[in-house]
Amino acid sequence: MNPMIALCQKEWRISMDTPQGYVVSIAFLLASGFFFGSNLFLNGQADMRHWFAILPMLFIFFIPAMSMRLLADELHDGTYELLATMPTRTLDIVLGKYLSLLGHITFLLALTLLYPLTLSLLGNIDSGLIMASYLGAWLLAASFAAICLYASSLTSHAMIAYIVGLILLLMIFLLSQISPTLSPALQDIINMLGPISHYHHLLRGVVSFDDVAVFVMVIITFLSLCWFDLERRRWR
Amino acid sequence: MIKADNLTRKYGNQFAVQHLNFEVKRGEVMGLLGPNGAGKSTTMKMLTCFLPPSSGDATIDGYGLSDSLKVRRLVGYLPEHAPSYHDLDVEAYLQFTGKMHGIPSATRKDKITEMSRACGLEQVMFRRIEELSKGYRQRVGLAASMLHDPQCLILDEPTTGLDPNQIIEIRHLIRHLGEQKTVLLSSHILPEVQAVCDRMMIIDDGELQALGTSDELSKQSQGGSAVIATIAGDAAKVLERLHKELPELDASSEQNLETGHVVCELYHPDPTCGLAEKLFHAVVAEHSVLLELRNEQASLEDVFRKLTKGSPS
Repeated sequence: MNPMIALCQKEWRISMDTPQGYVVSIAFLLASGFFFGSNLFLNGQADMRHWFAILPMLFIFFIPAMSMRLLADELHDGTYELLATMPTRTLDIVLGKYLSLLGHITFLLALTLLYPLTLSLLGNIDSGLIMASYLGAWLLAASFAAICLYASSLTSHAMIAYIVGLILLLMIFLLSQISPTLSPALQDIINMLGPISHYHHLLRGVVSFDDVAVFVMVIITFLSLCWFDLERRRWR
Repeated sequence: MIKADNLTRKYGNQFAVQHLNFEVKRGEVMGLLGPNGAGKSTTMKMLTCFLPPSSGDATIDGYGLSDSLKVRRLVGYLPEHAPSYHDLDVEAYLQFTGKMHGIPSATRKDKITEMSRACGLEQVMFRRIEELSKGYRQRVGLAASMLHDPQCLILDEPTTGLDPNQIIEIRHLIRHLGEQKTVLLSSHILPEVQAVCDRMMIIDDGELQALGTSDELSKQSQGGSAVIATIAGDAAKVLERLHKELPELDASSEQNLETGHVVCELYHPDPTCGLAEKLFHAVVAEHSVLLELRNEQASLEDVFRKLTKGSPS
């Protein structure tokens, strides 16, 4: 079996099978359920706009929690030495870890599909819009996951990995929030590169190549940084 | 099988290992001895392709360290403190290791059964590694390192933290494995290396100090000949006669008050001077009786202390 898949399976098992994995999952589902329900009855409309608007905040707090132990714990417990001396490439390690994290997030997002299903029973929903929004949410989560995996490769303490991941994500979020007050040139750069602004494009129901490309670029950039960081450790 | 050629590793400006040359033959159990911080672990990390050497190279079964994937397939490695995934149970952990090494699923189950039997893990197969004692964890690590049937085992302090019974078990296991595989193990416990290894090397400050069987090392370290003798009769005269023949003789004697016998420790810097023979003749010439005569060999502890003494740590 491919070592990447074996590693992915192992991580998946730990994230489903151990308290550190399922506590985070349950907390995410509770929080997302709360925000879905509270806005729904306030507005009395069969749409999910408010939920999708709040989703990045949930990601900012929960994705670092899902990813923090992935590499930091390996480095802390010395198991990274085991991994690195098995016949695996560093790239297999990075991708295996990333895919398991992506799987975990996809699983949680898939569970929230219950909300649009419920809504479709209550009223007419714009299914195209919701599908585009889900794609946006998934791509945003995938980019955040790559950023947080990189944070986890920087340190051998899971808690520090969480904080670093949180700070990186908050910075991205805050930059997109304050961009209207900045100079037009800076605004353009933030709108072009910031994943949050592209997420908002997708929430409008328009799927464009540019938006998807930015997410893919963010993912590739941070996975490369992560790979680079793990390689660098060997030379110190 | 394992051949190091000028293997050197620096951390920053400091040498952890420098210019290490040695060879481990196929089917041999080689011990790597040294005080803490001597560079044992660094050497092993280089041989397992975890750390790249700063200069020099090593080959494992003819493959250089740059052929890292091939080398890693040939080597089973147990890092120091036997790390493993504490959240998994033993079976899942061994399954994972097997998959990582690309053992096909058809034979993986059999391999795991075989290795868990060899390492005495059958009773804990479905316990989480977290719950296991140190000895069991060490055995899990050992089983995992041998799962892919490597030609060559590299074990970093395989018995630290174990109780005496477990140490003996692990030693038996390593001895048994050594019959088929090439083993390189590190330790700072001398009797262990003496009990398990065919040959040993002592390193200090990252440099090779000595290499050989324990007998060779003892002889090499001693440099001269030393004899302990118990003499009944006039020992002073015997020693006087001996001194005339061997002026460089260094002797100390002590009289046992109860029996009146004299116990002498004799040392001569030339190992070929025939010290024991000359002593015998001297005793006969003085009409005394020789009750005991034995060649004193430097113990491995002495060798170790001598070779690694005074090194700034």
